[in-house]
Amino acid sequence: MIRFDNVTKSYKGSVVALNDVSLEITKGEFVFLVGASGSGKTTMLKLLLREEDIDSGRIWVAGREVNRLSKWRVPYLRRNLGCVFQDFRLLPNKTVFENVAFALQVIGRPRQVINTQVPQVLELVGLGQKGGRFPHELSGGEQQRVAVARAFVNRPLVLLADEPTGNLDPGTSQGIMALLDRINRTGTTVVMATHDSSIVDMMRRRVIEIDNGRLVRDQARGIYGIDPAPSSTFGLPATGRLQQGQAAGGAVGARRRRSAARGTDPAQARRDVLATSAVDAADDIFEPRAASSLPASRPPRRP
Amino acid sequence: MPISARYVARETAANLWRNRLMAIAAVLTVGVSLSLVGTALLLRQAVNDQLVALGDNVNLQVFVKPSASTAQIATLRAQISETPQVRSFTYLDHLQSYDQAKRLFEEEQGPNGNVIISALTPQTTPPVFEIQLVHPGDAATVAAVFQGQTGVYNVAFPSKSIHDLQSLSNVVQVVLLVLALVLLISAVVLMLNAIRMAIFSRRREVGVMRLVGATAWFIRLPFMVEGLVQGILGSLLAIGIVLLGDLGIRALIHHFPLFHRAVVPGHDVFVTEVIVVLVGLIVGVVGSAVAVRRFLDA
Repeated sequence: MIRFDNVTKSYKGSVVALNDVSLEITKGEFVFLVGASGSGKTTMLKLLLREEDIDSGRIWVAGREVNRLSKWRVPYLRRNLGCVFQDFRLLPNKTVFENVAFALQVIGRPRQVINTQVPQVLELVGLGQKGGRFPHELSGGEQQRVAVARAFVNRPLVLLADEPTGNLDPGTSQGIMALLDRINRTGTTVVMATHDSSIVDMMRRRVIEIDNGRLVRDQARGIYGIDPAPSSTFGLPATGRLQQGQAAGGAVGARRRRSAARGTDPAQARRDVLATSAVDAADDIFEPRAASSLPASRPPRRP
Repeated sequence: MPISARYVARETAANLWRNRLMAIAAVLTVGVSLSLVGTALLLRQAVNDQLVALGDNVNLQVFVKPSASTAQIATLRAQISETPQVRSFTYLDHLQSYDQAKRLFEEEQGPNGNVIISALTPQTTPPVFEIQLVHPGDAATVAAVFQGQTGVYNVAFPSKSIHDLQSLSNVVQVVLLVLALVLLISAVVLMLNAIRMAIFSRRREVGVMRLVGATAWFIRLPFMVEGLVQGILGSLLAIGIVLLGDLGIRALIHHFPLFHRAVVPGHDVFVTEVIVVLVGLIVGVVGSAVAVRRFLDA
């Protein structure tokens, strides 16, 4: 679904944002991008959207080579990529319904499609009753749900989220994560850049860590806190300061218990596969997916 | 992807309304500059018509002494027909010359017109060779040849007035066109600024549109149409001004029969208006295209 081959990207003034990054994300995966501010997470998301050009290497999204797309094809690429940001980016003069409808309107979807899709997706994000509200009348968590609805209403293949919980309190963040998890189970690949160690540790999904533009860790069912730097451990000092050896040891048990509570233990993962395959079968835009490509059944990797 | 006309119309109207002061300034500037363009074009047309009228009439008149003999007249006729600058000529004898004189003075209707007519008789009116030249500008040279010849009473030519009219109109035209050009440039700049403000006030929408995959044309079109509308409104304003001016001049000229020829026929006025609208459209499209390129696609 997503592939980086030796991608290097530098900005003007010789700041190297990404340095020879190679990775592959398969269809239906849920991936956390972690790393300190300025490490290159957001740049990776921008490159996927072709908001920036790369210096060298190649990037594929959904079978298309992003960095070689002609300019007029870029909008069609972006229709396959939903986006959610820390600052929601809702239009303040439009209602919730209009904000979500706008995403379909501007890609020329007919009215009847809008009128059926928008209520559906609002129902999915739990805002079925609030279509007539304006963004300023909603809480932060609700606003982010609107943003997720807008990103998902066109049923993109990939959902990109750049610190979607950055402005939310922990409880609200969990709600958003549950929503993203739900979207992921429909077969949508989710890539989320985050600083929120508690969420990463709770979800136990694949973790890709970027440091100074280099890929330093790619771990299935990973945790946030391998990096001992205090700056990246806010929010969860107990697991955040763990050294690598400890991470493999005692802390995992506690985390596993929490994962079970969150429904990501192996049994739940199998149920997820079944649920997802049912959705896949129902929806022919998604290609059938091998269970082995799922993050949950992938053997854990160490950096 | 189809772009709904209703969407574009609604967005354009919203943009224009949001920045109405800027839009009005741009429309007024386009209007004033285009009315100058229209005026310059009409003036040129009027002067050309006047010149054509003069050229079609007579460039040179050789008056023959009323007392000249038939032989002298025949010599003159031969000489005139051999002069290379002459395109054609007609000879009016005593009687024809008298008739023409009468008509001219009656036309002028001055208070002493009748006095002059009554003083003329066919016998005392000089016969005349009315000569059309290949180039009206040669009148002075040709006139010098015939002036003072035996049998020639006098030579008349309106060359100086042609020249004066031409140079005056050239100066006025250049001034008007330069002014119009300056105003057109400022109109483009104002329009550019109006659209830039529209883009700026909608940058959130534009950002979201890009994000969810709206095509470049879908994003651009409302802004382009906004410039186009401003251009059209400006040229409509200019048409109004030029038409009013034309009517005013017609009314004024009614009182000055000598300038009858300076009234431009309706057909030419129409052509001028079409040109004005075209220039307005071009200004609108250029202004908005530059704005969209500089401020939207960056």
